[in-house]
This record gives sequence, structure tokens and C-alpha cells, in this order.
Amino acid sequence: MVIKTHLWEFHVKELGATMGEFAGWEVPMLYTSSLEEHNIVRTSVGIFDVAHMGRIKLTGPDVLPFLQKIYTKDMSKTKEYWMSGPTMALNEYARVKDDEMAYKVSDEEWYVIANAPYREKMLKYYDEIIKKYGFKVKVEDITFKTAMIAVQGPKVEEVFEKIGAGWANDLHTLEFRMNEEIAGQKVFLISRSGWTGEDGFEIWAEPKAMVEIYRALLKAGAKPVGTICRDTLRIEMGYVLGEDEYGEDPTKFPPALCLRYGLGAITWSKRGFIGEEALRACRREGCRWIRVGIRMTKKHARAILRHGYPVYVEDQVVGWITSGAYSPYLKRSVGQAYIDSRYAIFGEYVEVEIRGKRYEGRIFDFPLVPGRPVVK
Amino acid sequence: MSTTEFEVGGKKYLVRTDVRYTKTDEWAKKENGKVREGITDYAQKELKDIVGIELPEVGQEVKKGEAIGTLESVKATADFYAAVSGKVVEVNERLLDEPELLNKDPYGEGWIVVIEMSDPKEFDELLTPEQYIEMHKKEGH
Repeated sequence: MVIKTHLWEFHVKELGATMGEFAGWEVPMLYTSSLEEHNIVRTSVGIFDVAHMGRIKLTGPDVLPFLQKIYTKDMSKTKEYWMSGPTMALNEYARVKDDEMAYKVSDEEWYVIANAPYREKMLKYYDEIIKKYGFKVKVEDITFKTAMIAVQGPKVEEVFEKIGAGWANDLHTLEFRMNEEIAGQKVFLISRSGWTGEDGFEIWAEPKAMVEIYRALLKAGAKPVGTICRDTLRIEMGYVLGEDEYGEDPTKFPPALCLRYGLGAITWSKRGFIGEEALRACRREGCRWIRVGIRMTKKHARAILRHGYPVYVEDQVVGWITSGAYSPYLKRSVGQAYIDSRYAIFGEYVEVEIRGKRYEGRIFDFPLVPGRPVVK
Repeated sequence: MSTTEFEVGGKKYLVRTDVRYTKTDEWAKKENGKVREGITDYAQKELKDIVGIELPEVGQEVKKGEAIGTLESVKATADFYAAVSGKVVEVNERLLDEPELLNKDPYGEGWIVVIEMSDPKEFDELLTPEQYIEMHKKEGH
């Protein structure tokens, strides 16, 4: 069964969205053109419907020990009304179950964002871990109670000023507030965060209120942008996606360390989290594969990279593409790849095989877009 | 260029009335024993933002219905097929740098190949504009 996003009617009837399925949800794929929408987010302000992301409330005296058990990051450093920054939940092979983010309200009240395709899997997993270790934690899936949007782009502060929510501009990156008011509507949660590399906010609110907030944002100059450009934006930034860059199967995906996740997702001084032994073993022995960025050369700017394409140096297969996109911002075909660590040299040239032909690209560090992420 | 429109699922699609069609959403226009071919408005709207194309080689012999190139849209890869058998005598190299022409002007500047027909009868077997519209109306819900 496909779940319709809370704002389905609004997208279809008022915004003329082209809807499509993602992770069992019917979400807006695009409104006009994914290429235009991509550039709107990089140069102005776009509004994403991200209601499909799992919003999970955790309460009880053992939330912190529970999070410490499942995540690679030291969650004890997270302050009240701040997000933890992204981190990973691993399996025993140090492969990534999900990359998630936690919001701390107090020691005993947290919210977690799980990726849409893994929401149900992770809810089961939380229960399993809670039972196994006897943690006193109550888990409540609030995904269906609130809608969620992400407002992203360099002009976001102007837009918030215009809708009378200039106070939000005082929030630092990863800081959040609860039970505020925007455009005369109740907002459950607003955070300075996103997944595009641009400045922006994410808002949780009840569906009816959200439509009104959305209208106010449109009036202030923000534009609706779809799920397709969300993917191309994250590829430029080097942000990872489940089943493209990571997954639980050790025959398909390297250990979490090889992701070069960055952003402080792993705290080595922390002990006792699930997957730690295998992760430390990988650290000791070294990474066979390294995730890197690929920029195709100008001559092959239109050679589009897709998951699974082999990467060559001379006649050796040295890796594979994990995801790719045409970047309308860089006017280049770009991608992410796992490369044999002996060949993973920034600035070096590689070839990607596409339907039997070789095309030239260069290995780059992330982000592929200069000057990002924007941190306030 | 004379055109008409059809509507499926609330969306409108342009159809050129002076060309023939394949079931795989290519158009074909006869020009002095040769056939100029491209993708239809329906095809470009289904694919949406086209960001890359792989063209056949000039001089390549192709068979009707054979995949002769690849279109890359933002989200998907799709083949396109020869409308008739023969030899490729011209390809639209502009598309290599400006694949967006396939979206902007699929029946005009977005043409893809010119094929010299080896069997001119094949052209007459292609769908008429009426048959092409009919096909999509039947498929549409």
C-alpha cells in the first residue's frame, strides 16, 4: 500500500506536482523541472515535502544509554534543544543499518529521524535492543501525526523575515525550538538543518497548519521543489543514501568507515556501541575501499553515471559508482564511487564504463559544490 | 509544422500530423527517401529533464526496432529505437551538448538521426498520427 503524504491534495491540486513513489510513499517528484528546482535551492529558496522521513519520539530514563548503544557518535555531548548531527546505527559487521539524527529536548525526551525506507525496520530494531538490554525507553512513531517540510536555500533568511518569523534566523545550525508560531500557525518543531548543503530550516507541524505555512512561504518567494532534485543536491554534497552508498549486506557494501561519513558521525573515544568491534577492526586493518566524489571531464560532461558502473584505471577495475547525477549547477556529470584505497587519489583521472564505452572523470573530495555546507 | 493534441490522464501531448510514429514513441518523417527521426512530445514528457544522449555512429547499419541509442534523464536511462531499417547518414550532434533540445523542441531542433532506408515499405507500416493517438488513449486510464 502506498502512503500519501499529508499534503498530497495541496501538491496535486494547487501546485500541479508530478507525484511518484519513494519508499512506499507517494511524494512530489517535481513541479516544473528537476534541473530548475535544483538551481532554485542552490541560488534562492526551495520547499521540500519531507513527510516521508520517520519521526520517532523516545522518552524515558534510559534514552541516552539506548542511543549510546545503537549509534557510533557520542550522544552525551548533545545539548538540550540541539540536534546531535548525523550519526550511524551499525550491524555487527559494521555495515550501516541507517544514518540518523537525534534531537535532544531533555535527558529523558528525544526525537529521532530515521530514513523513510528504514523506518519500520528501525522501529523493530529499537524494540529489540530495548528488550535485550532492558532499557527503560518508550518509542512512539509520530510520522503520521505531523507533516514535515524543509525550506532550503541561500535566501532563506529573507523569506523567514518576510513571513514574520525572523526570530528563527537566530537559530544556529543544528539548533531547534518547539511549540513556536509561524504565519499564525502552530509549529511543533523547527530546526536549522537540511540535507542540501544550503542554509535552511526544517519544520514539523500538523498537516492543516503546514498548508498555511507553505502558502506563506510561497508568497514570500520560496518555490516548491521535488524529491528528484533532493537526490541530485545530496549527490553534489557527498551525502549518502541507503542502498546506494550504504547497506547492511557485507557482500555489497564496505564497512561504515569506508564511507568517510565525516560530520563527526563516529566518536572513537566512545565504547560499547553495536558494531564497534568490526568497526575498530576495519580501522586497524585499513579500508580496502574509500568513498570519493567523481567529476566527469568537460568532454564527457554529459556521460551520466549510475549505480553499479565499473570504474577503471588503465585496465584494472578499481571501483564502482554508487550514485550519479547531472549537476545543472556545475554543468557536469558528477557522482559518488567506492574506489580501491590504493587508487583513491584526489585529482587523479579514472575512467567509467558506460554501456561498453569508457568515459573520463576525476576523483574529487566532497563536497563537489564549493563553499558548502553553509553553517550558521 | 502542423500539429494536433491529445490528452491522457489530464496531461496534454503534442502530435505532429505530417509524420509517422512507432509504438515506442519515436516520430519519423520521410525526406527524399531518407527518414528523419526523433522522440515524441509524449516520450520527452515521460522522461522529463533529459541530460544526456548517446547517438549511433554515422554509417552504422540499423534494423527497424533495434535500440540505436540511449537517452539519460535526471532519474532514468531509456533506449530509443530505429523507426526503419537502413544506414545512419546523419546524427544531431548538437544534442550532445544541448540534450535539453529534446525536451524543448522534440519535433524540430531535437531530431536525433537521419536514416537512409533499405526497405521503403517499412515506412508505410509505421503508425499514422491517428493510430498513435489511439494507442495512447487505449493505454491511458
